[in-house]
Amino acid sequence: MAVIENNPLAYPVSPKANRGGLKAGQNRIGLLMLLPAALAFAAVILYPFLSALGLSLFEYTVVMMEPRYIGLQNFAKIATDADVWAAFWTTAIYVALTTAGTLVAGLGWALIMNQPFAGRGVLRSLSLLPWVLPSTVSAFIWGWIFNSRYGVLNAFLMELGVIDFPQAWLSTPQGAMLAVVLTKVWLSIPLFMSFFLAGLQSLDKEQIDAARVDGAGNWAVLRDHILPHLRPVLIIVVVLGVIGNLQQFDTVYALTGGGPVRATTVLSVEVYRRAFEQWDIGFASAVGVLWVCSLLPPAFFYLRMLVKGN
Amino acid sequence: MFDLSSMKAKIVFGLATLVIGFFLFFPLYWLVISSLKANGELYRVVPTPIPTMPSLEHFIRALTTGKLPMYLMNSLITSTCSAALVTLLALYAGFSFAKYRYIGRQPVMLFMLSAQMFPFGLLLISIYPLMSELNLLDTRPGLILSYVVFALPVSTYMLYSYFSQVPDELIDAARADGASDLRIFHTIVIPISIPPIVTVFLYSFMWSWNDLLYSMTLITSEDKRTIGPGLLLTYLNEVNSDWGGAMAASLVASTPIVIAFMFLQRYFIQGVTAGAVK
Repeated sequence: MAVIENNPLAYPVSPKANRGGLKAGQNRIGLLMLLPAALAFAAVILYPFLSALGLSLFEYTVVMMEPRYIGLQNFAKIATDADVWAAFWTTAIYVALTTAGTLVAGLGWALIMNQPFAGRGVLRSLSLLPWVLPSTVSAFIWGWIFNSRYGVLNAFLMELGVIDFPQAWLSTPQGAMLAVVLTKVWLSIPLFMSFFLAGLQSLDKEQIDAARVDGAGNWAVLRDHILPHLRPVLIIVVVLGVIGNLQQFDTVYALTGGGPVRATTVLSVEVYRRAFEQWDIGFASAVGVLWVCSLLPPAFFYLRMLVKGN
Repeated sequence: MFDLSSMKAKIVFGLATLVIGFFLFFPLYWLVISSLKANGELYRVVPTPIPTMPSLEHFIRALTTGKLPMYLMNSLITSTCSAALVTLLALYAGFSFAKYRYIGRQPVMLFMLSAQMFPFGLLLISIYPLMSELNLLDTRPGLILSYVVFALPVSTYMLYSYFSQVPDELIDAARADGASDLRIFHTIVIPISIPPIVTVFLYSFMWSWNDLLYSMTLITSEDKRTIGPGLLLTYLNEVNSDWGGAMAASLVASTPIVIAFMFLQRYFIQGVTAGAVK
């Protein structure tokens, strides 16, 4: 395609040319260009964020006309609220399982897709599909697979002799957790794979060939060359994965609604329920603030890496 | 990368390929297959791997009797508008960050980027009353504006990384010819930036198209409902679960985004992984 030839890197300029930026004292225009995005950002991201932080100090429920300042009482209430603690715990399990699962499957699949074979290009493209499906659709697909009466999973496991009776997966705490985790892992494999494949492109093939001549086997090549090379990508993928999984709402809500009972009620579902089903806005905000706190460590890592990258 | 000449290597590699490949592709296969089964065949305890009597009844029903076409149209409108809005905002902001050196540039940029980590669900708590005050609750403009939340930070960063690579000489030369900065941006920089612009557009389009949470909360009237909550409320509600219809409607709802993605995936992946992978 012609567009790709318009790559600015193709222009004959010195390699240092793009580092300094424009210095002709045109900064006012620069600020002007930033203004629309800054306004939009302030309106729908920054203001709501600060406002939610503030609301966590207020009592504000559906029956009240005006929020009432109560200091840290919401947080005191959270401290004794078993449901919120359970949601934190559920989230921790969910994030750990989804991130680890996607890491293994995504890395494995990237290594496979990095191996030359006929039809690789097509298979790579097809591997990206789960990424682009609407979240409701992913929930439908997995809900149908896990269906207690007509689900293919039950039929498959019974055929193999693993189970004797159809299991009501989504009605048991472990089964429902398994379903939401598998759905998220399935959804995230393409993103993880893309990052790993991009990282694998810069792998030094001669170095590996040299190691092979020295007698290194596949396992040694993977352990001593490929994995160390992928380390930076691995870190960013884990951080992005944790951030994404901590935030996940759509597939969990569509698949289990947070149930059975509260078995898959992760923080996003908990906050949604408190805010938009019970209309306890102040309390929901307070839970949300703690949720943000749990996002801070990965966010800090991510930003630090971006700063270093610049 | 791996040497597959030995039998052991072949077996391990082949097994891994089968397991992950099956996990990745079987659900997609099952989606297509199930959508083509008539109810008599669909609701069997031991399912048939290939429909014995392929039927389009679910598709016909989804497209003619249900509200699916309306949901699709609503999603198309809101996603296109919000993707255009995000692309436009990110375009100028990205260029500004990349090519100007004003005080506070770096901290502002990092702050905008860190906003990706603000939980969308938490933001929604305050976006809801905000939209209510602005009388934008249950309106398309309200939803379109709220969708800026999802993609603006990353889109700005993607365009910023691209514009940083545009040589200053190119712009300085045009300046020496007396062109204004805005003019240079519009007539010289944007035309050579089509791939990243397309990437950003598609990226934000995907976010809006795939959304469930915001649409479900901010839109209450049926005639503005988008595909995510539309599917959920139509096919799997308290009173009925129409799996065949759900599968067929899912396929229909996924087709536009899948086609767009297949054409543009090369740019897309470059754009999304850029900056993270050097």
